Amino acid sequence: MFARSTALALLLCTAPALAQQPGGPPPPAGNRWETEFPAIEEAAWSGSRLSDGQPDIAGYWSNTVSNHSNFTDPQAGPPGEPSDTAGLPRGQRAPSRVSDPANGEIPYLPAARALQARFAANFANPVENEFIEPLARCAPAGVPKSFMWHGYEIRQYPGQVVLLFDSGWRIIHLETTDHLADQIKLWNGDSVGHWEGNTLHVSVRNNNGKALFGRYGDFMSENATVQERYVFNPDGSRFNYHATFTDPTVYSQPWTATIPARRYTAADEPDGWHFDVSAVNRAGATEYEHTERICHENNGPFGGGAVGVPSNDPVINR
Amino acid sequence: MGVSLAKRAIALACVLAAGIAVPTPLVAQTAVTPTPSEIPRLANGRPDFSGIWQTLSEADYDLEPHAGRRDAPPGLGVVTGGTIPYLPAARAQREANFAARENDDPRLKCHVLGVPRGVYYPAPFQVFQRDQDLTLIHQFGNQVRTIRTNGSDHPEETNREFWLGDSRGTWDGDTLVVDITDFGPENWLDRSGNYHSEQLHVVERWQFIDGDTIAYSATLEDPQVYSEPWTINVLLNRRRDPGLRLIEDYCFTLTYEDNYPHRGGN
Repeated sequence: MFARSTALALLLCTAPALAQQPGGPPPPAGNRWETEFPAIEEAAWSGSRLSDGQPDIAGYWSNTVSNHSNFTDPQAGPPGEPSDTAGLPRGQRAPSRVSDPANGEIPYLPAARALQARFAANFANPVENEFIEPLARCAPAGVPKSFMWHGYEIRQYPGQVVLLFDSGWRIIHLETTDHLADQIKLWNGDSVGHWEGNTLHVSVRNNNGKALFGRYGDFMSENATVQERYVFNPDGSRFNYHATFTDPTVYSQPWTATIPARRYTAADEPDGWHFDVSAVNRAGATEYEHTERICHENNGPFGGGAVGVPSNDPVINR
Repeated sequence: MGVSLAKRAIALACVLAAGIAVPTPLVAQTAVTPTPSEIPRLANGRPDFSGIWQTLSEADYDLEPHAGRRDAPPGLGVVTGGTIPYLPAARAQREANFAARENDDPRLKCHVLGVPRGVYYPAPFQVFQRDQDLTLIHQFGNQVRTIRTNGSDHPEETNREFWLGDSRGTWDGDTLVVDITDFGPENWLDRSGNYHSEQLHVVERWQFIDGDTIAYSATLEDPQVYSEPWTINVLLNRRRDPGLRLIEDYCFTLTYEDNYPHRGGN
């Protein structure tokens, strides 16, 4: 992270290209959001590999479409804060992240739809604790929101893939198909996976269902299972993330989200958002490294004006 | 660390067995030098610290020697020489911290524990290692530390007051030596109120004593708080429980447990 003074400065700062804090304004134009993105077919992998045979996809990545403000109309802005392009014809903005069904809508059961709509209606003026976006309290963004926020880093090891987000970590276990006991529910779930050609397949269970997918209140419950596919293109410069959500207590049918991502390298300029890095301090070095960033609620009062932020009482008794 | 230390440990054991009072404070020590073949290694020949580790020590309760009390089991202490060399004003602050520990220990709010506390906090952490870095993911809270072993130095920009400091590692034979700077002032070192300021500078040494045990030491220097550098020694044990994996423990989120959206809606 960042020192607290810097984090506070960021909170108060609305300049473009600085990292967005949860609850802050939507990212400005200039974050290079795409309105369309290429399909990537599942295929063999022809690129470099690690010693254990995994395709080498380690590095810095970020989504190309938009942040978590709006799941199904990603570039239209959060509830109550329409973006500059929200009034344009729908086809001029990026498509819904719901790639299946074709109508781009999450197939909620009626009671679940009512919960989502209630959250969206109260997001802009959250008069109850339950209308605070959990990310505003620095809770882990979970699946799939972690792929729609700041850039993130993938590190690979024999038998494991590690995802490092600004709001938490995931370890994808490649050498087992066993999940944790059902009683254990987690923000980021429990991930086991395997590679097939250019595609990393991951089963995510043990979700706690608390994180939301974004500011419109879209969600899964703790009963959900998620089947992820990370499909990498031949030169390793992009991948498309597909996640199929199955949750009979919330949805009338399984559905699939698609989130595109691109790689960031030393050829890119650090921007404090997608590529939040600084130069490595070594003579002749041309690479960048991510600097510690620990969301502030983790270590003190914060929440972007969130109501109900607790005081200094102990949180645990262990 | 080496033969002389091993001899000292044996001598100490003999002294203890004979029931003779020891002349110097008894603190946890490491005692055995491994044979090189016992050490797991990366393809590049460096010791491979990958795995899930956890201390069995009582260090997090109180670094200094202490009898059992209501909120801490007894411990021999893990500070070389037994006592942390506080400056007088800092010793008073430590005592104030101790008196307020039931509320003021940052651990109680699941804050990032910092370095070195996260290492000897009694919860597992996993080390992932590549040639260019080691990644330490601590189960407790949201703590991920990268130790760069790519020949880089600390950033030129300073005073950023990182919760975990900035870690740069080099190799001294089979020992990983990590230099850590640029801390914030809010972390404690244990549950008893031992602490540091933003002037803290830590040098860690990580060395296998067998394939499943790391001798970990941390030397702390902080001219605002201590009269001289001092050193912590603990052992880190490999967690070998079958099927063990880290379970995220973002306990700072527990405060809102009843207030998350859509609770009870399913």
